[in-house]
Amino acid sequence: MGISRAGSAAALAARAAIVTVAAATVATIALAVPAAAPRAGGTIVGVVTTAAKNPPPLRVTIDPDVCGQTLPDDSIAVDAAGHLAGVVLTVPGVKAAAPAEAPVTNDKCRFAPRVSLVRPNGTVAMTSKDSVLHTMHAAAADTRSLFNVSLPIPNMKISRPIDKPGVVTLTCSTHTWMRAYLFVTEELSAVSGADGSFKLDNVPAGSYDIKVWHEALKAAVPTRVVVKDGETVTLNVTMK
Amino acid sequence: MRRLTAAWFIALFSATLAAQSQTPTTIPEMWNAWCARCHAKDGTGKVATPTVKVQPMDFSDCKLTSPEPDADWQTAITHGGPGVGLSSEMPAFGDALSQAQISEFIALIRGFCKEPGWPSGNLNLPRPMFTEKAFPENEFIIQPVSSHVKDTPAAVSMAAIYERRIGKRAQLEAVVPFASVSTGTRESGLGDVELGMKYALTPRATRYLFSAGFDVVVPTGSESKGLGGGTVVYEPYIAAATVAGSTYVQGQFKIEVPHGGPRADREVLYNVYAGRDLSIFPDTWTYGVEFNGENEEVALTPQVRRGLTRTGALAAAFGVRLPLNHREEQGIRWVGYLLWEFLEPVRPRR
Repeated sequence: MGISRAGSAAALAARAAIVTVAAATVATIALAVPAAAPRAGGTIVGVVTTAAKNPPPLRVTIDPDVCGQTLPDDSIAVDAAGHLAGVVLTVPGVKAAAPAEAPVTNDKCRFAPRVSLVRPNGTVAMTSKDSVLHTMHAAAADTRSLFNVSLPIPNMKISRPIDKPGVVTLTCSTHTWMRAYLFVTEELSAVSGADGSFKLDNVPAGSYDIKVWHEALKAAVPTRVVVKDGETVTLNVTMK
Repeated sequence: MRRLTAAWFIALFSATLAAQSQTPTTIPEMWNAWCARCHAKDGTGKVATPTVKVQPMDFSDCKLTSPEPDADWQTAITHGGPGVGLSSEMPAFGDALSQAQISEFIALIRGFCKEPGWPSGNLNLPRPMFTEKAFPENEFIIQPVSSHVKDTPAAVSMAAIYERRIGKRAQLEAVVPFASVSTGTRESGLGDVELGMKYALTPRATRYLFSAGFDVVVPTGSESKGLGGGTVVYEPYIAAATVAGSTYVQGQFKIEVPHGGPRADREVLYNVYAGRDLSIFPDTWTYGVEFNGENEEVALTPQVRRGLTRTGALAAAFGVRLPLNHREEQGIRWVGYLLWEFLEPVRPRR
């Protein structure tokens, strides 16, 4: 019985300690996240559209057994509703880490994806699914050759560093129609998807002229947008 | 169940076989599937539908391909064209192929030259300061020398050297020196012009090259002004080259016989050079040392050389000849050269 009483006292003390810790935790959380304050930064969403049409298919001049007789010209990738893919939208002056690695695959004599984001001093990870010789020749905006690696064996992987900001063009020395672009940036950026949509998150409140890049088209409308903390603002972009 | 497993196995085996049949496994198969896209199956670089802007070198042209050492081919295949200052359209295969496979490719490419008897480019070694190269060259060289003998004003000379390869094995050479010497008063002008011919004796050997040469010195320089020797001199020589590990070794033995002069005026020259590269690229630094002998006078010439362009078509070298005996008579000679291999592209391609 004496033992039991002593046990009860210990259990009571322990319970009291747990209550104290729990109370302290609740107090800390309450201090860290004031319930009523708006979230810092806003979001820009939108859809990129164009009246431009898909170019006619490219006629394959080499390796038709792997590449097919024709291939879509991906330079303007637009759906039936005019939604444009592969447009890079950048919030000027806002630093954000783009992916450290941009994977690019040779698949049936096309590079996928057509446009990738990568941070300065990041890498491009290259591979090929095709059983023909592809090369990945990277050139800086000033046409300076950065590297040219061969991918003769399916599924082999090669990585190369990408140093400075700018648009790096990837071509293939054996299939002249192949193109891909690495958008090397340290600013907050997004690429429009197949449905033309894009989303830029965690944009500090302020007024911005969003920079728009596309390999063939230019923005036809002003891209001024005002971002407020905790709010989502829509910016639809038309390209021509 | 067992039948199903067998069917799966057959399907898997067929798929594996199909994948394998598409991927070349031997070096000739790889050449035909990959390299022939641009270089053509016969190595000429002439294809029906070119996909590159820069026409590849014709590998069947022995004059162009035989003078290059294997190391340059290895660098070009491993690192792509820019590794040797050539087109960036040539991709790097260093990730896809082992160095052993690349060596097999080089042997295959060498085979496109169908004419035997072109000396191996592996014995086309960096030019030493005094030792004559055994390999027949196409080069233009400017060679300044500044000689400093105790209690005598410095003598300086500048020689223009033109070397032209004739056919597989021969080379013609002309040396036109300009000198400035002081024999009380300073005299400057044309020195003794030298004309020569060299011929490779062992063009099919792969590990060494012996050549025989014959130079004639013409007394175009003024003897009274100290710019020339005043007599015709015949200079037969033997030159040799080999590579020991990664060390270049070159040697030359030469006799200088003045026309009509007494036997005692004959001179014997013997030079040995050893050197190594610091990298595999054509613009590498090469450091070396020469042992130079002239009758009983001997000297050492430490020297460095560097390719000035990524193609290696221009190079400069600098050294100093230090006497080992007869120090006062021999003095110290600062030597250098600027070299242009005029069949090579000087500017790297992009």
